[in-house]
Amino acid sequence: MNLLEIKDLKVHYPIKGGFFNTVKDHVKAVDGVSISIPEGTTYGLVGESGSGKTTTGKAVMGLNHVTSGEIFFDGQKLNSKGKKVDVRDDIQMIFQDPYSSLNPRKRVFDIVAEPIRNYHKKTRGELVPEVLGLLQRVGLPPGSLYKYPHEFSGGQRQRIGVARAIALNPKLIIADEPVSALDVSVQAQVLNFMQDIQQDMNLTMMFIAHDLGVVRHMCRHIGIMYQGRLVEEGRTEEIFKNPQHIYTKRLIAAIPDTDVDEIENNLAFRQMVKEEYDRNFADHLDEEGRAFPLQSITETHRVALPVKG
Amino acid sequence: MTEKLLEVNNLTTSFKIGSEYFPAVDDVSLSIQPNEVLALVGESGSGKSATAFSLMGLHRKARIEGEVNFQGQNLLKLNEGKMNKIRGGDLAMIFQDPMTALNPLMKIKQQIIETLKIHNTKAKNEREAYAVELLDRVGIPRPDRVAEAYPHELSGGMRQRVVIAIAIANRPKLLIADEPTTALDVTIQAQILDLIRELQDDLNSGVLLITHDLGVVAEMADRVAVMYAGQIVEVAPVRELFKNPQHPYTRSLLNSLPTESMLGSKLHVIQGVVPALNKMDRTGCRFAPRIPWVPASEHEKNPKLREIADDHYVRCTCYKNFSLGSETPQNIDAEEYQIETGARGGSVR
Repeated sequence: MNLLEIKDLKVHYPIKGGFFNTVKDHVKAVDGVSISIPEGTTYGLVGESGSGKTTTGKAVMGLNHVTSGEIFFDGQKLNSKGKKVDVRDDIQMIFQDPYSSLNPRKRVFDIVAEPIRNYHKKTRGELVPEVLGLLQRVGLPPGSLYKYPHEFSGGQRQRIGVARAIALNPKLIIADEPVSALDVSVQAQVLNFMQDIQQDMNLTMMFIAHDLGVVRHMCRHIGIMYQGRLVEEGRTEEIFKNPQHIYTKRLIAAIPDTDVDEIENNLAFRQMVKEEYDRNFADHLDEEGRAFPLQSITETHRVALPVKG
Repeated sequence: MTEKLLEVNNLTTSFKIGSEYFPAVDDVSLSIQPNEVLALVGESGSGKSATAFSLMGLHRKARIEGEVNFQGQNLLKLNEGKMNKIRGGDLAMIFQDPMTALNPLMKIKQQIIETLKIHNTKAKNEREAYAVELLDRVGIPRPDRVAEAYPHELSGGMRQRVVIAIAIANRPKLLIADEPTTALDVTIQAQILDLIRELQDDLNSGVLLITHDLGVVAEMADRVAVMYAGQIVEVAPVRELFKNPQHPYTRSLLNSLPTESMLGSKLHVIQGVVPALNKMDRTGCRFAPRIPWVPASEHEKNPKLREIADDHYVRCTCYKNFSLGSETPQNIDAEEYQIETGARGGSVR
């Protein structure tokens, strides 16, 4: 069963200008994206900066306006006009930058307790053990309770962010580049314990990242975005072993590999893919410069290829 | 061995915290030959950027000791005026963050012409054309239009290219690249790395590449120096380092990468954190607190870099019987989570 279903999501921003400040055109930040995430799995959303991956995540969170399309969470429509469905305690977000996503003037206790206070009337006496339990879960010592964010390293801060995100026992977590600000050794820590927590709590996760190595490690399904549209989607091994869209191929070829034996081959392959990309990329877009609609290749693997014929 | 382009001997850069000086770069010696790429890797706080800034003479308040020999001169002994002649000329730097390295109030062409003017490259009336040529050289489309633009009109990748264009404007003999691609997307990163490689070939310059991305290191470097807590702990040719890493820190780092072979398994986690500058134990092996299962007898009292194979240097003796998986407890001691106060090396300038 799909916990999250996004159907034909569009987020357009108007460009205003001219004499009367009229709407001239639209920036199509997200332009017809459909994603479904089965319960308990991690879906990786990959793309370059400006491809619309964060906007998609924020639309699910209700943090930006949705031009058209539908978002279903657990069967309920989130963006209906009339009655608002309040599922915000079931969807939480982990932010990219652990240095700016924690209020520097609040103590860890207040940061982690804030979402709980928003939804439940609890006394301080009830909150303290609850917050301590959360800290333990993310591997922070009890002594952190009354410290301020600046007293922690980047990896520890990201743990505080995760503790805050899981405080309300959410079903879905949207992790927006959770490790891109961290060193590799710290990144390994955070990735490991995010996997642990996901298994323990049966969390569903949307993992937004630009690092394909990290995404491959974390996700069962991957969607590749380009200029507001998905160009390819499938199981992780399908995307990595059998990429079909030229953009996906180029993205995968561009990852620097630590295998020193393969470097010559990798560089040659990257060059080849780049040439193919430069030559053929226009064929992968329609007249308006948008990626084609996705077509199924296998049951799980879908690619934006031109309609045959 | 051929003529060395840069020779750094016992460089120690100390920052003042409170009333005391603490070395962020501690007795670092390295050398670069023409047409060689030396990569400097390590976590944040290990002193890589502090090393680069010391070489460039950009640390004003730090106490810098040792020797930096470049073209027969000790750069540390030069006064500001002479240093200005070298900086941006034969010795140039590509900065990490293209968003802040450029002046937001100056047109791109003015920023390039500025460095040409200081070093008297090209006649006055040729400079503008040369600036456009440089932009074209670093792969900027429609360079004549970009020359007239302000930095905010360009994307991150474009800005980084402009920063590179400025760095190579005076055909430097030595290029210091401080995390040149960290802020960029992979496809643009690949282009920028190609570009640096091409320019280096072309100008026969040496490159000091500072990065924490081991994939980039594997692709770019000829030799690699691994830094931890202000010291170089391992130096080796790139193949040797990836095929046959020795120091526990190097091996831990390589194992924490989410590579293909690690799929489905837990990544290796290095216990604890990089010690803060003013809380560091400077006696014995600095990596010892993060590999507590290694008995003290394995470490040296006063660890030195030793050549263990051709061109392969390792600090301390603890690498000999080191094994990664021997003991990696899931729960890290509460003690390890000591608060980090005080400034890290990189932030005190």
